[in-house]
Amino acid sequence: MSREWIRFPLNLMVHPFEGYWDLKYDRNRKFTLIISFCVLFLVAVTNILGSQYSGFLVHVYNPESMNSVMEIVYVIVPILFWCVANWSLTTLMDGEGKFVEIFTSTCFALLPLVIIQFPWIWLSNLVSLQETAFYYFSNSVAVLWFVYLLFVGNMTVHQFSPSKTIGIMLLTLVAMGFMAFISLLFFSLVQQIVAFISVIYQELVMRT
Amino acid sequence: MMNSLRKLKTPLLIMICCLLGVGAGAGNVSAESASDSYIYSYWGDVAAAPAAYVATEWISGSDLGTDAFQEPSDLHVTADNRVYVLDSGNNRIVVLDHDLKLVTTVDSFTREGEPDTFLQPQGIFVTDDGEVLVADTGNKRVVHLDSDFQLIKIIDSPESELLQDSFKFEPVRVVMDHAQRIYVMAAGVFDGFMEFDAGGAFTSFIGANRVYIDPIEYFWKQISTKAQRSQMVMFTPTEFTNLDIDSEGFIYATNGDQWGNNIKKLNAQGSDILRRTGYSDPQGDILYLSSEGPSKLIDIDVADSEIYSVLDGKRGRVFTYNGDGHLMYVFGGLGNQMGQFHTPAAIDRIGEDFLVLDKALGEITVFRTTEYGRTLNEAVKSYYRGEEETAFALFNRTIAMNANLEFAYAGIGKALLRQGDYKGAMMHFKRSLDQKNYSKAFLLYRKAVMREHFPLIMTMLCLAGIGIFAASRLRKVKERRKGASA
Repeated sequence: MSREWIRFPLNLMVHPFEGYWDLKYDRNRKFTLIISFCVLFLVAVTNILGSQYSGFLVHVYNPESMNSVMEIVYVIVPILFWCVANWSLTTLMDGEGKFVEIFTSTCFALLPLVIIQFPWIWLSNLVSLQETAFYYFSNSVAVLWFVYLLFVGNMTVHQFSPSKTIGIMLLTLVAMGFMAFISLLFFSLVQQIVAFISVIYQELVMRT
Repeated sequence: MMNSLRKLKTPLLIMICCLLGVGAGAGNVSAESASDSYIYSYWGDVAAAPAAYVATEWISGSDLGTDAFQEPSDLHVTADNRVYVLDSGNNRIVVLDHDLKLVTTVDSFTREGEPDTFLQPQGIFVTDDGEVLVADTGNKRVVHLDSDFQLIKIIDSPESELLQDSFKFEPVRVVMDHAQRIYVMAAGVFDGFMEFDAGGAFTSFIGANRVYIDPIEYFWKQISTKAQRSQMVMFTPTEFTNLDIDSEGFIYATNGDQWGNNIKKLNAQGSDILRRTGYSDPQGDILYLSSEGPSKLIDIDVADSEIYSVLDGKRGRVFTYNGDGHLMYVFGGLGNQMGQFHTPAAIDRIGEDFLVLDKALGEITVFRTTEYGRTLNEAVKSYYRGEEETAFALFNRTIAMNANLEFAYAGIGKALLRQGDYKGAMMHFKRSLDQKNYSKAFLLYRKAVMREHFPLIMTMLCLAGIGIFAASRLRKVKERRKGASA
């Protein structure tokens, strides 16, 4: 079984149709969830290490603006937004996926980003300016692979046709935009309410 | 309660005095460092810098023993450090020597046996031979005098197919190159500088600014009628605000562009060849309040080694860049203290020092280099001349005085690279955030490391290969045995 923890996600990477079918119908939910969180953690770690230790030629970073907590947020928040937006849309549009399945399929799709980018954090310290083309190329490969896995995952989980999946994915992006807007609005309102209450409190305190 | 307070009184008093003293000291320090001396970092932030220049004195007309300056608009320093001030309000030229003492004043010249005078002249240029060119704006002509202020020629009302019949020639600034070609910046001309040949005949325009089109304005123009359009502002290129010429004959010019490049270096064809390899394009201030807007450059001065300085009329600051476009230092400002101006109009270098002419006050402020300024100037110059050893030592001294001077590290890095210290060079290029040179140093470093460890690496690889081969053989043999025994 212990080998399975590593073999299954890697196998899914290269045989996505088979793998996602497995993920949806055959696998233990606890098993897939644990792997999903592991992948999520690894992506966050890759992101932090990448912004700190990538080679100077591919990544000029300002130590004053580096914040590990924010790097984690930059990973977690978009994925959560994606899952929520995707779930909200697909429940309305006859998708068969449950939220857990959407979450696990999305996390599994992130794996190429770790597998390819993690070694490049160190490799990028060993390349010259001309050779950075390889770095950018493999980064693009990782992103394309991720998008492809996301596509297959979505299709399998919801049992959609390919064209409908593409449409849903685009709509999900739009929905994410809406969600970001509404959250900003919400936070700004909460901030104003808090300010209002604190002002009233100050007035009362000063008066006595 | 009162008792304990009384007991505490003396130490409290002492403490307050100490605090006040500290506060007063801090006040002094900040007043000193508030001399507007800063540079911009790679990230576009303001970084503190020691003052490269400090104002030491100011000179008015009465200090020189002549009438007070009235709205002086231009000054020029020759190669032998004679200063020519164009006193526009008094229609005269005031000549000072290298100690800034009065030599002579010129308010008329002889033309065809009769005395002639200037009328509201705006620009002056003096060649290395002492020949004087005056943009005599009020009289709509350029006056060319020799070193004894005798008339050589007058350029007025140029004629060409390029010019409209209604064209009014109002020269504002003028320069002349070694081939006696005269370049004139004229008011109301959007086609660039007017170029005149040695005989004084108009030849062409060079270096017109690009038109900037405001997208919103353009949209409205597209949907409006012809009658409406005729009432709207036309899209015209910006005018130049000033120009200077370097020893190689390249014209450095400033213009009032908000969006484009407001500093240009024009070659003989009129195309812009200014190097912009600094952390941000040379443009004056990078950070500014949006209500104030970007710098409005009104004068430019080119020194040797491609160092040039521009004067920001909006905030009264002088920005100096090296030939690669790195900001070297900033000084000046608007205000009432020494070293600040009311209406700055022109700058020029006299040796290492700067002269800034204030139009409203009719005064010249003299800025002298500090230790830091001298070292930095000399470092940049020796780097430009290719004397890397000297530049290395001088840049090391500048960064000892100002660790924020990021481009200086690249100078040190280059010298280290030449010396073969690749690792040190890499470190310094990284500090100056110079990826291109870092890559060069890194390639050499990698090659050196590989060469040093080549035998070890190859041995390891061979051993690994043999090991893998042996392991696979061993497994096969084992499996065969297993199969045999089964």
